[in-house]
Formats: sequence, C-alpha cells, structure tokens
Amino acid sequence: MNDDAVLKIVEKHNSEGDGIISILEDIQSKYSYLPENALKTVAEKTGKSLVDIYGVATFYRYFSLKPKGKHLINCCLGTACHVRGGQTIADEFQKQLKISPGDTTSDREFTFETVNCLGACALGPVTVVDGHYFSKVKTTKVKQILDEARKGLDAIKVEGDKRIFPVEVSCTKCNHTLMDREVLIDEFPSIRLTISFKDKHGSLRLSSMYGSYNIVCEHQLPDEATVNFFCPHCHAELKSHTICPECGEHMIPLMLKGGGIVQVCPKRGCKGHLLDLF
Amino acid sequence: MSDISSIEELKKLNSIDDLKKLYWSLFEKIKNDDKPQLVICSGTACHASGTQEIIRGMKKYIIEKSLQNKMALKITGCHGFCEMGPFILTKPGDAFYHKVTLDAIPKIIEATIEGKLVEELLYRDPKTGEIYYKQHDIPFFKKQQRTILAKNQNIDPIRIVDYFTNFGYKSLEKVLSSMEPKQIIEQVKTSGIRGRGGAGFPTGIKWEYLSKQPNDKGKYLICNADEGDPGAYMDRSVLEGNPHSIIEGMLIGAFATGATHGVVYVRNEYPLAIKHLTIALRQAKDIGLLGENILGTKFNFDIKIVRGAGAFVCGEETALIKSVEGKMGEPRQRPPYPVEKGVYGKPTAINNVETWANIPIIIEIGGAEYAKIGTKNSTGTKIFSLVGKIKNTGLVEIPMGTTIKELVYDIGGGAPEDFKIKAVQSGGPSGGCIPVSLFDLPIDFEKLSEAGSIMGSGGMIVMDERTCMVDVARYFMNFLKSESCGKCFTCRKGTQRMFEILDDITKGKGTLEQLDLLEELALVVKDTTMCGLGQTAANPVLSTLRYFRDEYIDHIKNKHCTAGVCKDIVGAPCQATCPIGTEAWRYIAHIARGEYEEAYIALREANPFPSVCARVCSHPCEKMCRAGVLTGEPVAIRALKRFITDMIEPSVYKPVRKVKDNAGDNKVAVIGAGPAGLTAAHKLSLMGYKVTVFEKDSEAGGMLISGIPEYRLPRKILKEEIKELIDENITLKCNTALGRDITIDNLLNNGFKAIFLGMGAHKSKLLNIEGEDLEGVFPAIEFLKSFNIEGKKLAHGKVGVIGGGDSAIDAARVALRQKDVESVTIFYRRTRNEMPALQHEIDAALDEGIELQTLVSPVKINSENGKLTGVEFIKNMLGDVDASGRRNPQPVKGTEFFAGLDNLIVTIGDTPDVGYISYMGIEVNKWGTLIVNQETLETNRAGVFAGGDVVTGPNTVIEAIAAGKKAAIMINRFLNGEELSKPLEKKMPAIYIEPMVTVDTGEEELKRIKLPTISVDKRRSSLEEVEQTLSEESAVYEASRCMRCDLDFTYAEKIKREQAEFMGDIMQNKSVPEGEVLV
Repeated sequence: MNDDAVLKIVEKHNSEGDGIISILEDIQSKYSYLPENALKTVAEKTGKSLVDIYGVATFYRYFSLKPKGKHLINCCLGTACHVRGGQTIADEFQKQLKISPGDTTSDREFTFETVNCLGACALGPVTVVDGHYFSKVKTTKVKQILDEARKGLDAIKVEGDKRIFPVEVSCTKCNHTLMDREVLIDEFPSIRLTISFKDKHGSLRLSSMYGSYNIVCEHQLPDEATVNFFCPHCHAELKSHTICPECGEHMIPLMLKGGGIVQVCPKRGCKGHLLDLF
Repeated sequence: MSDISSIEELKKLNSIDDLKKLYWSLFEKIKNDDKPQLVICSGTACHASGTQEIIRGMKKYIIEKSLQNKMALKITGCHGFCEMGPFILTKPGDAFYHKVTLDAIPKIIEATIEGKLVEELLYRDPKTGEIYYKQHDIPFFKKQQRTILAKNQNIDPIRIVDYFTNFGYKSLEKVLSSMEPKQIIEQVKTSGIRGRGGAGFPTGIKWEYLSKQPNDKGKYLICNADEGDPGAYMDRSVLEGNPHSIIEGMLIGAFATGATHGVVYVRNEYPLAIKHLTIALRQAKDIGLLGENILGTKFNFDIKIVRGAGAFVCGEETALIKSVEGKMGEPRQRPPYPVEKGVYGKPTAINNVETWANIPIIIEIGGAEYAKIGTKNSTGTKIFSLVGKIKNTGLVEIPMGTTIKELVYDIGGGAPEDFKIKAVQSGGPSGGCIPVSLFDLPIDFEKLSEAGSIMGSGGMIVMDERTCMVDVARYFMNFLKSESCGKCFTCRKGTQRMFEILDDITKGKGTLEQLDLLEELALVVKDTTMCGLGQTAANPVLSTLRYFRDEYIDHIKNKHCTAGVCKDIVGAPCQATCPIGTEAWRYIAHIARGEYEEAYIALREANPFPSVCARVCSHPCEKMCRAGVLTGEPVAIRALKRFITDMIEPSVYKPVRKVKDNAGDNKVAVIGAGPAGLTAAHKLSLMGYKVTVFEKDSEAGGMLISGIPEYRLPRKILKEEIKELIDENITLKCNTALGRDITIDNLLNNGFKAIFLGMGAHKSKLLNIEGEDLEGVFPAIEFLKSFNIEGKKLAHGKVGVIGGGDSAIDAARVALRQKDVESVTIFYRRTRNEMPALQHEIDAALDEGIELQTLVSPVKINSENGKLTGVEFIKNMLGDVDASGRRNPQPVKGTEFFAGLDNLIVTIGDTPDVGYISYMGIEVNKWGTLIVNQETLETNRAGVFAGGDVVTGPNTVIEAIAAGKKAAIMINRFLNGEELSKPLEKKMPAIYIEPMVTVDTGEEELKRIKLPTISVDKRRSSLEEVEQTLSEESAVYEASRCMRCDLDFTYAEKIKREQAEFMGDIMQNKSVPEGEVLV
C-alpha cells in the first residue's frame, strides 16, 4: 500500500475541513477496503484516536475492514426487492459462491454483499455487479451473471460489438479534418492530435471507434496524467467548457461530420466521454 | 442551438440583469429550432433496463445515416414509469414508445423524421388493447399531477442551459430582485408545505426559527438526501434528473434565512445522483450562482456534498448532523434543536430533497396558489414510489388527499397477475401496513398515522396474497435491529428481541404467549426510546398485528403460511398448497430421472383420484410454484401428473392396510359416492373399517360423473379409478337416497357407529328474475346431468349461458357439442379477468368458437306462448373495488339490449339439495350448507361428520378429496375415543431424491411446456378428450425445470443422517402413525 496516497487524501480533506467519513470513503474507494495501516495514518494525521476512527469505520455499512475480491456483487434486500423474492436471489448467490454476505471467495474473484436499498425499486429484485445493474433477477439467471462478471462487464470487444461505431471528426476551431488515413487504429483511420504535457510535445492518435479507448502515442503517458491537446492544423488548444462527468477535467471537443460534438476526457485512464447530437 | 455554443463558456453572471439577458439570448436561440426531438429516459431504473444501449444505438444510427440536421436527441433523468423502460418520448407529439429494443431504433428515427408514429410501439392498455397516442392520456400519467417529476423529461441534468431554458433559476431571480427574506418565509408558511422526509414539520416555521437565530457565527442549510428508507427512490430521481432545482431551492432558503453554508447529505449508494449533483454544483459556481456576492447582490452561499456511508439512522436529523461532522451517526437528545445548535454547533435547518424541489414552485406560483393543491392540512403534491406486487411500478406524483385506491388501482393498474392485492406498506421501516379494506383512505399525514402507518418519505410497497405479513414484520425488524445505533437500551435490545420472536413465529416455533410479549415489547420500545428510529420501530409489528393477527395465529397454531413464504414451515410450496399435501416435488423429481413407477407411487400415496385430478384439478400448487413466483413460468404440475397416470398401471401401487381387530364392530356409513365420500370410504377401509357407501344416483362418481363432461374426463378412466377404490371392505349401494330410503337415525340404529355426509351440491341457484321456469331455460346441473348421464341433447339453435365459473364453461362447451346447436354465447357480468373459471378452460372454449360477452347482466327473460325467445341484458361498467380486490359491476342506465335465444342455461352457482336434513337434526346455515366444526368436520350430532360441497358449497375436486381424507382421520379418532381437535401432523419434505445435473442452457429462458390438444374442428362433433398427454421428452424437460424447493430439507436431512450413520449412531426412523397424515 502506498502511504503517500493515504497522506494525500488526508491532506486534501483536512484542508477542506471535512470529517473522517470523507477521508475513509476515499481510502475505501482507492483500496476497496480500509487497510489497518491506513487507519493508523489517518489517526496520526488528524490527531484523533484510533478508537474514534475504528468507531466510524465500523458504524457505517459502506466501510469494510477486509479486502474485497475482483468483482463486487451487491444484492438488494430493500422492501420492494424483498416482496419480489430478493432473499431467494441472495441465497442463490451464496449457494453458488459458497460464501456468506460480506465475504470474499477464496480465489479472491468475488465479494458478495447485501444492501438495504439501491433505489431501483421498480425493477426488483435488483443486483449490482461491478456497477452494472441487473433488474428483475431470477434464480436461474444467477449463474449467467457470475459468468458474465468473470468475463468482465466493462469489456468491449471492438470487433462484433454493436455498441461500437466509427466517427469522423474535425477541429472545432478551424474545421479541418483530424482524420489520419495513414495510421489505422482498430482497423479504421485514426484521429490525430498534438499534445503537450509537462515538458514534452508530440502527437497522439485516438481510435475513431466510439467506445474504444485505444490510442497510439510516441510518449509514454503516465496514469492520471492530464494532457493538453491542440489542433495539428490551426494549433489552437482544444479545451471545452464542459467538464468531464467522471473526473471533472475540462474535456477535448471534436466536431462530428454531419453535426454534433464528441468530447473526450484529457486525463489518462479516465473513460469520461460525451456525444451530443443536438 | 448551434453545436459550438454548448461547449463555449457561459459568461459569469455578475448581476440580475445578466441573468435576464441570458434568458433572452437562450430563448432567441431555441426559438427557431423546430427539429423533432426524441427524449430518452436515462434514470437508474432505465439504466437497469438497458437504456444505455438504446442511446448508443440511436446515436450510431443518426451518425451513420447523417441525420443530425433532421432530428435531435435529449437524454434526461427519470420520468417515473420505470416498469416500461427503456422508453422514448417524442417532441412534439408526446408519443410514448415503451420497452424499446435495439431493433426498433431505425423505425422510430425514420418515423420521427417523417412526422409519423410507430403504432406497434405505442403504449396499449394491457386489458382492452386500446392505443394511447399521447403520454398524458395513459392511465398511469393521467391521474397524476406531476409538478416536480414532469420537469425531469425536459431537462438534460448535466446541462445547466436546459435548466435555464425551462425557466430554471427564475424563482431565484424573483426573490433576489423583488422579495424580502420575511416575505419569502411568509409565502412558504402560507403554502402550508410540510417536510417531505416523513415527519411533516411545517417548513415555513422551521425557516422562521432559523431566520431568527443570531447570524454572527454562520448558519447551515442541509438537504437530506440520505434516502435510507428501502423501497423509496424519489429523492434519487429528483437529484439525478433535476439537480439544479435543489440548488435553486436551497439558494432561496439561504436568502430567506440568512444561511451561508449548504450541505447535501447524499447516500453513497446513489453514484449517478452524486455525479449529476457534482456537475450541477460546479456549473452553478462557474456561472456565479453559488459562492460570494451572488449576482452582485452581496448574498453569499455555497453548497458542498457530503456522502453518507450507509446508516439508516442518519436520516434522523441529530444523527445526520453528527455524520456531516464526520462522526458516528448516533442521535442525541433534543432540545437543543438543530435550528439552535446543529452542524458544528451552528444553527441548522434540515429539509428533504423533495421539500427543496418544491420551493421554486411555491415562489413561482405563490404560497396561496400552492395551498390550493392537496388537502387543508397536507398541501401540495407528494411523490410516491409505487413498487412491489403492482402492474405499473414507478414514481407517481399525486396531490395529497388522493385515496390509496386511486393510487393502487387507477394509476398502478392493480395486481400484476391473477393475485389479489392484500395491503400497501407505507413509510418504510418506520411505517406500517394498510389493508385493502382501508384503501378508501385519503393519503395525507394525519390519515396515514391514524391508520397506524406514516407518510414517511413516500415508499408505497404493494403486497399481494403471496406476501406473508409476519415475514414482512420480521424483515423490517431484522432491518431495524441491525440499523439501531445502540445508544438506547430499549431500542437496541427491544428490536433484537422482537426480531427473535418474529423469527420464531416464521419458523413455526412461536407460541401465543409470545404474541402478547411481542405486543408489549413493541409498546415499550415505542415509549422509551429517544429518536425517531426507536419510536417508530414498533410500527411494522403493531400495524401487522392490528390488521393481520390471523396470519400470526395461523403460523403459531397451524404452522401454516398461506402466502407460501416462510420456508421453514412451508417446505415445498407445491406440497404446502395442495389441500391433500401431495408431494408434487417428489414425483416431479422422479420424472426428471425417468423413474416413472416411483413417481406414480408418490402421487398415488396422497391422492386416491390421480387420473381424475390429472385432468380436472384446479392445481393451486402451480399458483404457488416457486418457479412461477420467481420466473413467471410455473412448472406444469398437472400436465406431469397426467403424463404419469397415463403411463403407469394403477396396480403398481399397493396400499398399506392396517386391519383392525374390532373392525366388524365399527361399521361406518358414507352418504354420497362423490370424490369426498369415496375418499373417506377408501381411507377408512385402509384402516380396517367396514364401510357402506349409499349413492342416490344409479352410478358412483357424484359431480365427477354428472357435472364434468366426458371430453374433459373420459368415463372409462373415471370408472376404472372408482373401481380400484372399492375393495372388500367397502359396499356400494346405489339408488339409495338419504331422506328417501334411509335416515340418519335408522343408520345409527342399524349398527353404523359413525356417518360421513358427502352429498355434494346438486341444486342450481336461480337468477330470481321472471321467466326462469319457461321452456328452454335450464339450470346448469339439470342440463349437464341429463347430457352426461342420460346422453340427452337438450339444446338447440342459439344458446346463451349466464355465468363465469367452471360450470358455465362446461355447459357452454357441452352445448356446442350438441348437433342442433347453431351458436353458444357466454354472458358474464364482469370482465374476463374476473372470471372464476380456470384460464385454460376459458381459452379452450373461445378456441372452439364460443362467444364471450362480458360486462352484461340479465334483466328480463322474454317469451312467446310460454316459450323462451330471448333475454334482455343491461351493460355494466366496472365500479369501485370491493374488499376482495375485485371491481364491482354497475349497470349503466339506458344500455339495455335484447339477445334472441332458443335456450338459456343459468350457471350462477349450486347449493346442496338437502331440504330434508334439518328434520334429521343436522344444522344448516342460511345458504343451505351444513354447519360443521371447521377443525373436526363434526356436525352438531355426535358421530355424524360432513365434508365436501355439501359444507362448502360448490368447490374444487381437490378440496372434496381433502375433506374426505380429513373426515376419515376424524372418524377414526372418534371411534377410538380420541380427542378430535388435536392438530393434524404436518408432513415436510423428507425423502431425498438425487437431482439430475441440469444442462447449462446459457441465455435461454426455460419456458413452461404447452399442453397438446386435439384440433378444434374435431371437437364439435365428438366427445373425444380435448387435452392430450405429454411426450416423454416434454415431460422430462418440464420436470427438470422444477427448482427442487425440497432439497433445503431433504438434502440437509440426508447429510444429517449420513453423519449419524458414520458416527455409528443409526437414528430411529420415527414415522407418523398410519392414518394421521393429512398434509
């Protein structure tokens, strides 16, 4: 575990005058649980006793002191889900995974939890797996859900996935096309842009497949680095007023052929994107 | 609007004038935009239904076909009709496409561009098939008043521009430019709005207190979005769909009260709400609507988000404050109230999301106008999440004072399937259950609390007959015991103890004394705890005890859960629901393994009439089948029974006989050789008694032979089954009628020690209108009997049948098979949904060409020269819902019409034909059925028992068989001098049958098998059996769909037994004495 990361989180919230809960929430979302060392660091840096920290960490349902598996299953046991057989669904998950709520399988693949209400009551029983909602779950579907989760629910295969399609874009300032037919990514012409970050400059090509996150870049881009983008033709910076719904950075706007705007997040690793057809 | 403008920065607004100018410029831009627009709901529920894929698919299609200039897309928050998601709304036109699939996208887009509609995707009334062309005409929307929710469908929540173009922040502009803080508070007070979080404290008064607090240290406003009440999600939908309305509400509140700090406390379980709110806050800050010197008015206010970490108690205001401060969320004693000492000791007002969303509306229309909505003491609209066992689930916004009935039936559309609604639960874990008999209750704060519930945040969970109320109470107590913060002893321990008692009851271990203790505990917890959680924790228990005490007692005394929910006492629902406790799971498990003889034995052990029931049973087991409850496709149990009885010779089963020494001394008389009488005789014979069965008709069979036609139950099969039952202990005397040839007294004087009365119900009820004695008018029984027994074809020409039960269908289908009949029409007073006949029988009748006229009642029978010429009917409309949950038919004046008929068959119910019985000293009630002790089946005369239709009125075959079995047990007890009222032993799944390993079918849904039938044209001319048997392959497939509910019991038993054997301690097999097992 990286102690620096914990320190950073504590400092950020201390400066904003937030309480312990916010600090622990950020630690938990980083590590998926609250490691003991992190709690000690928090106690030290906030000047609170470890008992207080432990009190908060165990009072709220969201926090976990145990590491979690690769995939998180959250089975809703809210009233609406309960009257539609939510408990039977929870039982079936437990049966198939051979663990109790709150536990993780021995291969660290799955953590199974139950939750009081997910607020999707109209479609109960509901289960959320890695952020994906499954509605009107039936016991016969449980195995299928686990299989899909193992394969990865976010995984997008560029080939054969109907959700993916190519777009053609141009610069929002000079309207010059940004398509590069020389370099193909995902077997389609790529989108060429100029970038700068820290003291480096160069070019970067994005996949023109909407839904693919593949890029080609002459520089190694570190995770979470925010990069400035420019039009290779008019050299204007491409920065929109729109902020990334995922991380809050200002997005890169690209004009769609035929009308509309695609915007992608400049932060490495962030999957935020918008496609507007007005 | 041009493309580029959306990514350009909106200039910071430095004055109220700037804001006004912005409106002008935005309206100018959209004025000329008349492209058709498709609005797609992208709330969390629709996400779960796949709306993301639809959105992508649409974008892809538009880009591929370069249609960007011809139409627009708008992605919005929740519209409320979550059941129908993903759905799309057209602008202009308001057409509502529901359950949209990827395939439908091209059609929808092309039609929209051409200004046309895709009719097949429009919403239709599920009953009448009527198409609704506009969203607001759909019954779900029509009765709502969606002042808050309707805004969601105009706004893309991550675009502040959309909020502006929908007059967003206009109320803020109004207060900043023209109102004093005092005036605002006055308006809010006049509006009468009360807190939407549940307790209903008047918002205006709260604000007034806060405004009077000294302003030197700063004040806080909190938006409580910790929607912890399971089953409620309206706050989520408002935050997700229209976050700026909350910001605007809080800004107005801050200006009115002098608050400088705002906090939105939102649950971590709501990621999309947090995301949209975060974006909205940043946008509002960037444009200058939050922060310092807002619009140059020197007004300062900022809002930050605090994420709750999942603790129900944090909905309580003092606990919430602790949590905002980052501490454990334990409530504290009040006073001081938060309005004096709140967050970090500073004055604080806490309001719920929905309350905040109402504030801009109050300012916009004025307090007085707002107060006109709703009732006197509960003004405005309220959003409810209508969920659970209801057809139209979703978010519903109605004026206060709307009745529960309107909410559940008119907007919600009633129960989803053939099940009756039993209650609604409002207010979450702090609320209570309101039974269907109180559905006339107008929804407001006071009325709900008088009924033992609370308004709460607006969860309305509908429960039907498959919901167990004890289980519901146990569920809430389980929730509360884990959510109790533990500070007050009585809450901490009280909820724990209440849970244990409820748990005991659902497991069949409860006692009646515990019930009193439960009630006492509930009252103590209510009276002695500090915060709202504890004080209301008793509500789920007290309200269910108040309205559903019967269910508690049934669990305790009879170890019985009618809803089939409480696993430990239900065992396998099919077995528990069967009136004779047939182990359906057991023969189904054998069928899946190809062990057909074993299957037959399992079936026959419980049921002396397996072949009859395989054809005509009303199969209550299928209604409760867990595969049906969970997947909507119950196992076709009756069809499997048919498969087995067709395949296996009855001689495979060798009944266990227990011969009594004194059998000769104890002769028993059974009156009536119907299913009840023959079952009683058979069971008594197995116990060793000598039984004489007296039958009035010339043949045994009762209603099975006289009432049920041959095409449903072939005579050969019926006769063989009866023959098997009549053994050497049983003497059958036909053509011998009670009241004509024999009397009770002379039977008792002639050596019979006990008598079972099972004469059935063989007299048809009358309509009590003029002309029923005319030629050509037949009571159903007379008509069916003369055909089934004597082969007489009484009907000709145009035949009308009045009624909607099984005998109406039987009479109609029999008439159709008579050669002089031209047409057959069934007239029923309600709609098809309410017809009590078996659904597949109605389908078969319609297939055969029988007409069905619903919503009509006969007024007068017309005649000429003493002969029927036709019937005058009046049309009905469905009126109010009665206590049974069905709508009552009400005649509509002036809709009388005449139907010319040659024959009329009246099938509105039967009664026992036993005018003589009271002269024999047996008590009869006003409906003409015999009075018995329900537990023992004994009549008022000792040693004389009765059961079947003669007691219940016309009922199912399986109920008659159950009565016969029970009567045999009681007569045995009576003759042995045992106590009659001793509870019957209850049989739970016990025999372990290794399940077959099922093949992984992947994404394929496992559909229920369809029964083969003979062709329709064959049916009219013959009495050949309509339903055919399943193929072996189909039967094995269907059997393998069984969820094997028994394994929870049998597998555990098996493991226990094996362990015991391993330890060298072979357990004694304790079996129940023969003849004691009923269910």
